[in-house]
Amino acid sequence: MSNFQEFTKGLWKKNPILVLALGLCPTLAVTTSISNALWMTLAATFVLVCSNIFVSLVKNFVPSHIRIPIFITIIASFVTIVELTLKGFQPEVYKSLGIFIPLIVVNCIILGRAEEFASKNGVAASILDGLGMGLGFGVALFILAFFRESLGANKLFGLMLIPGMEPSSAMILAPGAFITISMMLWVMNVINSRKG
Amino acid sequence: MTNIGKSAIILGIITFISAFLLSHVMRITYPEIVRQEKEKEKRALALVLPGYKIGEKKKMNINGKETPYWIGEKEQGKDGKKEKVRGIAFITASPGYGEDIKSMVGLDRNGTILGISILEQLETPGLGARCIEVASKLTFFGFIFGEKADEEENQTPWFQEQFRGLSITKKIKILKKGDWNPGMRKELLKENAISAITGATITSRAVVKSLNRGIVVLEKIKNTPEAKEDNK
Amino acid sequence: MEIKVLFTILISTIFINNYVLSQMLGLCPFLGVSKKTDSAIGMGLAVIFVMTLASFFTFIIYKYVLVPYEIVYLRTVSFILIIASLVQLVEMIIEKVSPALYQSLGIFLPLITTNCAVLGVAVLNINSGFVTADFGLIKSVIQGFGAGVGFTLALLLMSGIRERLELADIPKNLQGLPVTFLTAGLLALAFLGFSGMKI
Repeated sequence: MSNFQEFTKGLWKKNPILVLALGLCPTLAVTTSISNALWMTLAATFVLVCSNIFVSLVKNFVPSHIRIPIFITIIASFVTIVELTLKGFQPEVYKSLGIFIPLIVVNCIILGRAEEFASKNGVAASILDGLGMGLGFGVALFILAFFRESLGANKLFGLMLIPGMEPSSAMILAPGAFITISMMLWVMNVINSRKG
Repeated sequence: MTNIGKSAIILGIITFISAFLLSHVMRITYPEIVRQEKEKEKRALALVLPGYKIGEKKKMNINGKETPYWIGEKEQGKDGKKEKVRGIAFITASPGYGEDIKSMVGLDRNGTILGISILEQLETPGLGARCIEVASKLTFFGFIFGEKADEEENQTPWFQEQFRGLSITKKIKILKKGDWNPGMRKELLKENAISAITGATITSRAVVKSLNRGIVVLEKIKNTPEAKEDNK
Repeated sequence: MEIKVLFTILISTIFINNYVLSQMLGLCPFLGVSKKTDSAIGMGLAVIFVMTLASFFTFIIYKYVLVPYEIVYLRTVSFILIIASLVQLVEMIIEKVSPALYQSLGIFLPLITTNCAVLGVAVLNINSGFVTADFGLIKSVIQGFGAGVGFTLALLLMSGIRERLELADIPKNLQGLPVTFLTAGLLALAFLGFSGMKI
């Protein structure tokens, strides 16, 4: 596989959310607004790329039976760096993402990529894989947040969409998240079945 | 056995490096975190005690809870007959839909609210989180076509704005009249009431509850020596 | 008085703030293990067990180690390591003590480490201010237990519906994940009704 494909596979063919169904908790929980979705993508991609680099560097020294705790420690360290940085420089973002920042640790995308890709491949390929997966994660989050924010809060990027319209609040709550992602997966299945 | 030992050493080294690294990150970000919090407090104080000269932050134990409070003073009156007026600001909290909603309240000595500012909330975006929303006439499409936000627009969130002038000595009522606008002020003041956020009664109720509790705090702070001085 | 508070915590974590259907935590196992009712019960029991224990240990470590030594910033790292080793320990103990139980729970235990509901409850215990509250330890253990029960309830409901769905005639492109999410959406809508409960 060429390096370019390493990067683009995360977008569609192996999209972490829509195809692999990984990392669903933050996906559904933080997509109440586009700005939350973008910050979450940034945070998760940073952790993903950094942990991919480190896992790929230490992969030869780590005995296989304790690899999982070591990977988790590496990931958790980067998550804490993100947590402290956001708290210091973007307190509003830190507050509104809340518990989902520490929960990046258990985002299955990150551990999954460390285990499946970075522990078997070189540093350069791991960086590209991390960036691609992060981008795929971000695209899915953006689409979800777009529909939920516009229908559920009558807003886009925090600005009012149609003055005087009463938004449907179920869209911003849990049911809206489940229903929107279900529709997205449905559309994706339809497109894939037309192609093949 | 040596296998276990080797694993333990490797794991130990990795966690040690991680802790070492994090302690450095902490040292860099900690002053910034503290500064941000101070800044936030300062901004809130300017909002809840407008025009007052605000004193040191103090703490008092009320009902087993440590309550931070501030005392501000301002000169008031005309025709050379100036007198000093004192205002009290403190932080109060009550559980909302998410976690505790923490707000700062500014009161005069009679228990009239000079302003409130919600410091921390984790309510549902689009519903309860609208308690910190600034009523802006700017829309998304307007923004794309190059409209600018109205400079003179009031920047205090509308939900917090409607508390100004209410009295906490009486119970604050919650009415469901839809989103607040300045035209409703007179009617609501007469009833000592606020208009709840549509679809987020729990949030509105939590804020009011924390204010109604504030009467105890006010009585206690009023009797401290620094609040009493030359105010018979 | 104290009993009432504990009861409130329990009810609100099970129904009002159900971890899966209202807070959207622990979705991966919720979708992965809800195909059959039997495995749903197994997974549910394992999660209740680990969540209760994790609430207990993380609270103690936080209050008596991290706070006194002012290393609160190591919270995330230490919590995830506690949970991972706890899961490992529980797995080994169950295997020795009761092979029958291990047969039914064993395969689910390794999955729990990356169940975000477990780390979620540990962090929420701290965020809810239990550290400085009276009876904080009991409160956080109750919250951990309640969260586990709520998770199990959602998992059971879902698996019951999915067993029926196998027999239903679903459009081809909706089969699998899409219809599962749609069902979860309807369940969440039903659980939204609990949020009007006043306790």
